[in-house]
Amino acid sequence: MGTFKVGALVFDIGSYSVRAGYAGEDCPKADFPTVIGVTLDREDGSTPMETDGDKGKQSGTTYYIDTNQLRVPRENMEVMSPLKNGMKLMFEHYNIPAFFLCKSAVLSAFANGRSTGLVLDSGATHTTAIPVHDGYVLQQGIVKSPLAGDFMSMQCRELFQELSVEIIPPYMIASKDSVREGSPASWKKKEKLPQVTRSWHNYMCNCVIQDFQASVLQVSDSPYDEQVAAQMPTVHYELPNGYNCDFGAERLKIPEGLFDPSNAKGLSGNTMLGVGHVVTTSVGMCDIDIRPGLYGSVVVTGGNTLIQGFTDRLNRELSQKTPPSMRLKLIANNTTVERRFSAWIGGSILASLGTFQQMWISKQEYEEGGKQCVDRKCP
Amino acid sequence: MGTGADVRDILELTGGENDGPISKKDLINSDKKKSKKTTETLTFKRPEGMHREVYALLYSDKKDAPPLLPSDTTQGYRTVKAKLGCKKVRPWKWMPFTNPARRDGAIFHHWRRVAEEGKDYPFARFNKTVQVPVYSEQEYQVHLHDDGWTKAETDHLFDLCKRFDLRFIVVHDRYDYQQYRKRSVEDLKERYYSICGKLTKVRAASGTEPKIYIFDAGHERRRKEQLEKLFNRTPEQVAEEEYLIQELRKIETRKKEREKKAQDLQKLIKAADTTTELRRAEKRVSKKKLPQKRETEKPAVPETAGIKFPDFKSAGVTLRSQRMKLPSSVGQKKNKAIEQILMEQGVDLNPMPTEEIVQMFNELRSDLVLLYELKQAHSNCEYEQQMLRHRYEALLKAGSGGGCGGITGAGTLASTPGGDAQSWPSTDDIKVEAKEQIIDVVGAPLTPNSRKRRESASSSSSVKKVKKP
Repeated sequence: MGTFKVGALVFDIGSYSVRAGYAGEDCPKADFPTVIGVTLDREDGSTPMETDGDKGKQSGTTYYIDTNQLRVPRENMEVMSPLKNGMKLMFEHYNIPAFFLCKSAVLSAFANGRSTGLVLDSGATHTTAIPVHDGYVLQQGIVKSPLAGDFMSMQCRELFQELSVEIIPPYMIASKDSVREGSPASWKKKEKLPQVTRSWHNYMCNCVIQDFQASVLQVSDSPYDEQVAAQMPTVHYELPNGYNCDFGAERLKIPEGLFDPSNAKGLSGNTMLGVGHVVTTSVGMCDIDIRPGLYGSVVVTGGNTLIQGFTDRLNRELSQKTPPSMRLKLIANNTTVERRFSAWIGGSILASLGTFQQMWISKQEYEEGGKQCVDRKCP
Repeated sequence: MGTGADVRDILELTGGENDGPISKKDLINSDKKKSKKTTETLTFKRPEGMHREVYALLYSDKKDAPPLLPSDTTQGYRTVKAKLGCKKVRPWKWMPFTNPARRDGAIFHHWRRVAEEGKDYPFARFNKTVQVPVYSEQEYQVHLHDDGWTKAETDHLFDLCKRFDLRFIVVHDRYDYQQYRKRSVEDLKERYYSICGKLTKVRAASGTEPKIYIFDAGHERRRKEQLEKLFNRTPEQVAEEEYLIQELRKIETRKKEREKKAQDLQKLIKAADTTTELRRAEKRVSKKKLPQKRETEKPAVPETAGIKFPDFKSAGVTLRSQRMKLPSSVGQKKNKAIEQILMEQGVDLNPMPTEEIVQMFNELRSDLVLLYELKQAHSNCEYEQQMLRHRYEALLKAGSGGGCGGITGAGTLASTPGGDAQSWPSTDDIKVEAKEQIIDVVGAPLTPNSRKRRESASSSSSVKKVKKP
């Protein structure tokens, strides 16, 4: 008896947020946006933060993760990351003893108790369907579509522009008055606002829109129909500046673009695949013997899938598209934590297994083999 | 949360018995002495920890005693409670360890009990790999040479197989298409298994017949093609297949019905023939000449012909008229028919039951029933013939509108009156209509038959009405 757990850190670097924490726990300790704030020194002494700046300072950010968020001594800790970048950085800069990389799709599947399945990950920038067989990703079956969270945000932004409503982030608001529904907001701007960069301002506005997106949008059960949508109950939402309104048909129309891109505005041509098509195309590219296995465990992960009604609609679409003899099972965790962090949780599970200890890439192996050992050892 | 042992430890007092690190036995199995005592008391005491009801199930008051020698000398039904905190804590140490499953001998650290220092890493035994055969250059040149595969490609294949533990789907996915040709999963499997087979043959000691796994690539390819087709069926095809299966079932049932009818008919006819022959034989031949023939002919009479009157041999006194009574197996309609014919012929319904009359009367009624059945069958056949004729004419019309296929079909139909309907998988509009007509017409024979029966029954009743006044 005894604990065979080697102390390990798990990092999951996504396009929207970074998740980091200790292996063996059930949720990451640190979850923060993947935006690098770089302070610039200006002539007038003010130091605004530029978010779209040069990414060369990445080591500064990871330094931030290591020592401030996790408070981890840098010796004797192994690091596990779902991404391929930065390995050299890890070994040479931070002197860690061992390292391992794993594809996040495999980890999501593990977190749901499966080693074979189709992982549908709908995050901020992409919606991807990745077939995983026996713990290995089938790279030729990966299908990607850019219709995801950011696409939704863009559509919401356009909606607000159509309604000629201004998005004011909270940092600018000093006070606001309550107004009637639909009437323009009345609010007072803060005095002595620092001179912020445009990118930072945009980032703050995006936060407001993402909050609207998360709380208001809903996916309808069947393909979008004007009359049905008009009868759906409306949701009341108030922006930070006091503007409040009831949203009815629009809340169904915008996410429809995920499933049926032919009607969505702002898309060039109709070459985009809806989510249902993404899944079926991905399975169709795999060997026919494993298709029932893939359809029998479709794992739904990613923050964008938390939109109300997403999984029901997906279930409906897939059952229409698959042959009737096929057993279809959708696995979607209900809690936000599990769905957003499923790759991280899978990494935590994997790193705490006793049988995982032989899979680490130790410093010695890295010195001998270089970067090729990653290709060999990591699935 | 200090226990006595901890306090003593802090104050550095000695005095606790069994000083030193705690062992598993102390925690869990500390009751050996006590258990011995309970085994000595053999009578009806229930073991501690066992529920009263369970004990009552096993041993009720006056029945068998519990066994003399209990088989289990450990805890019995007691739930084990771990006694924590009674001894000193076993120390843990942050110690380095090597994992024998690793090839580089890297040293990692983890927390482990001091007592287990030096033991092997227990999870190393789970490191199992698949045995992929390794061939030498020479072996390749001599035995494994193949036109479709270069040595480099074969080496690449075997390398992938070893890395992925013969998961061919993953191997196929990671196969290098730019450098080598595009291969299907069956190609890879075929090459691998053929090499394995050749190597086992070559390396086996002379005289032994090694078992080789034969991989049938052609069969696999065909199977997968078929699966693909099945997978890619459109819903219309699925619906069409369902429809065709239902049609087939309908046709089969109809065929069975028809056969059954034909068989019944045959039985009737045979019965009629044999009874008439019997009668003739009896009249013609005297008793003396052919007693044997009669005996052999009699069993040929089928039982379904006419009515079988029960021949009861009861002891004591019986009335002969009992023998004249119709058995209950004769249905209402047949009864009516018999009555009607008897009345038409002017025969008394209930004659005086003398011996001869009884016998002849029974025979007469039996023959009447037979006649009735034959008439029924005859009218059925007539009806069917008419129906088929109508159908044939309808098909002629349809056939003349859309090609000669209908005519040939109708031709075959007309030639087998009472034969099967043909199912036509073509989807022509006209033929579909004709098909509908056929189905409607053939599906209907039951109702006209019952109608016919009703008519005959009503005709008998109508005859009765005429006779009454």
